[in-house]
Amino acid sequence: MLRRFLPKTGGGDVITSNNRDDAEQTPMIEVEHLHKVYGSTTAIRDVTFSVAPGEILGFLGPNGAGKTTTMRILTGYLPATEGTARVANFDVHRDSMAVRQRIGYLPESPPLYLEMTVASYLMFVARIKRVAAGDRSDRVTLAMQRCGLMEKRDVLIRKLSKGYRQRVGIAQAIVHDPPVIILDEPTSGLDPRQNNEVRHLIRGLAGDHTIILSTHILPEVSATCNRVAIINQGQIVATDSPEALMNRLSDNLSYEVELHGDRETGRQTLLGVPGVSVVEPLAQDQTVEGRQRWRVMTLAGQDPGAAIAAAVIHQGLELHELRRQRASLEAVFLNLTTEEPQIAEEAAAIAPASPEPEAQPPAPEP
Amino acid sequence: MRTILSNLLAIYQRELRSYFASPLSYIMTAVFWLLGGFFLAVILLSPEGLIAQVAREDQAQQLGLASAPIDVAYEFLQYYVGLLGSLSMFILPILSMGLYAEERKQGTLELLATSPVMNWVVALGKLLAVVTFYGAMVLPLMLCEAIALDAASPPIGPTLLIVSHAGLMLLAASVLSLGMFLSSLTSSTVLSAIMTFGLVLFLWIVEALARSLPGAIGTGLAHLSMLKHFTDFTQGILDTSGIILFFSYIGLGLFLTAQSIETLRYQRN
Repeated sequence: MLRRFLPKTGGGDVITSNNRDDAEQTPMIEVEHLHKVYGSTTAIRDVTFSVAPGEILGFLGPNGAGKTTTMRILTGYLPATEGTARVANFDVHRDSMAVRQRIGYLPESPPLYLEMTVASYLMFVARIKRVAAGDRSDRVTLAMQRCGLMEKRDVLIRKLSKGYRQRVGIAQAIVHDPPVIILDEPTSGLDPRQNNEVRHLIRGLAGDHTIILSTHILPEVSATCNRVAIINQGQIVATDSPEALMNRLSDNLSYEVELHGDRETGRQTLLGVPGVSVVEPLAQDQTVEGRQRWRVMTLAGQDPGAAIAAAVIHQGLELHELRRQRASLEAVFLNLTTEEPQIAEEAAAIAPASPEPEAQPPAPEP
Repeated sequence: MRTILSNLLAIYQRELRSYFASPLSYIMTAVFWLLGGFFLAVILLSPEGLIAQVAREDQAQQLGLASAPIDVAYEFLQYYVGLLGSLSMFILPILSMGLYAEERKQGTLELLATSPVMNWVVALGKLLAVVTFYGAMVLPLMLCEAIALDAASPPIGPTLLIVSHAGLMLLAASVLSLGMFLSSLTSSTVLSAIMTFGLVLFLWIVEALARSLPGAIGTGLAHLSMLKHFTDFTQGILDTSGIILFFSYIGLGLFLTAQSIETLRYQRN
């Protein structure tokens, strides 16, 4: 199952030959009604989701939400109390060896032998992951190139900084070119530049790899993932694309408007537009003399953008800017994981297709 | 089968290399050699040593006082290998303490447990590595003994030397195997060393304990004694029951380790 060739472009977007076509129909990862109970506490309850081949699924949730537990069950490290999980159609518990061969896993803290050098450590991992002897050094070199470790190849891991150790952890997860990669908080402990590099690397792996990554950092999800599963207190609260999740909260739209003209007229005009609830002034320091900036809050479920523009023009005011503010994923997250349990369940019950969600999540904190 | 062997070799090499990279194992080795060499010199050459004693016996014989002949080479080897065994009781728990506890502490157990390697292969690889390291510790002392025995007259064959050291290695492998199991239960190396030492102490004195117990329990316990069978080996007696006992201990340790990794790895941290 391993490719003998190295990508000549260096980008690494090579398509694996055989398991792509047949995998297209069935999901690569299927999780059904997973429960995990530790003693008296329930870590996860009724977690169900699936990941299509080549997709990047982001697991989003606060600390202790059950992200790590779910991932550990997927890797076969932990047995589930109830429910099934399948990777590439192999049950993670019954066909553990088959699953282990097909996954690369970066645990929360990278599993490193500190007394080894980067290259010898990766060689060891490649060996126990059953990379054929002839391919090993090629695979190790490729993994080091992808993770930017070439200049550190003969350095003891003990002497590496946290960011580099994290990269060695990622290299370890991809060294045997597994079809499924599971990354638990891959960017923790990295500085912003390294963060970007890692996200770029993860996006580069998508396509011929199916990836699950967990994070509690929101921009990371919208930057890397095709789909987001939000998990809170052991339950999946919502699964959708980052865009769709944002759209779900679009009933809390607001506009930023920049006008030229009389201040009071401007305010009255904006307030007079049907569908507008609140108009408040924005900081004026960066505006040109004579212009004013307003934030216009809308009533739930209404999008009066066109009406605002028409009313402003009709009043004879100059419209310099009209910008719709989408609820950021951060707001989605706050809404979904900080509210009361029963509202969270309602939010989970909303069909993604319904244009008018019944649930009214409270407005994000300013 | 080939992948199992290849995995075994990978685990074995990595483990062995980690011993050579650890300052602790160098210190252990230095202390072991120092004490081993010291006792070798004391047993042979001190005023109360074997050679001096035998010389006195010879004098006594010349004076006409009859006494039983002494097989010096035999006496020396039995005494010295027994002493190495006792010394090892302190060394072995320290060698085995990190086998799994360290993996737990560093989180690498998660790598091993999610790799396509079977638990018993990991355990066996680790055990072979630590036994190899212990063998490397014993080998120089064995050379010293061989040099000393070379001076024996009439010359003795290497059989006794080999059998007694095979016994020593079997004893060490049993202790290390059980120590590996105890190491797999905890992420604290100190705790694992102390537990192993306690167990070793128990198996060391179990014979004395068994003698004071009446009936079947006493006889049963007496069979567990490592010391009794080890002494047989040092006397050059190759006893099947001893071999079976040691291999049972080794097998038990491997089995329990694999089981504990399978069932106990999901501690919450």
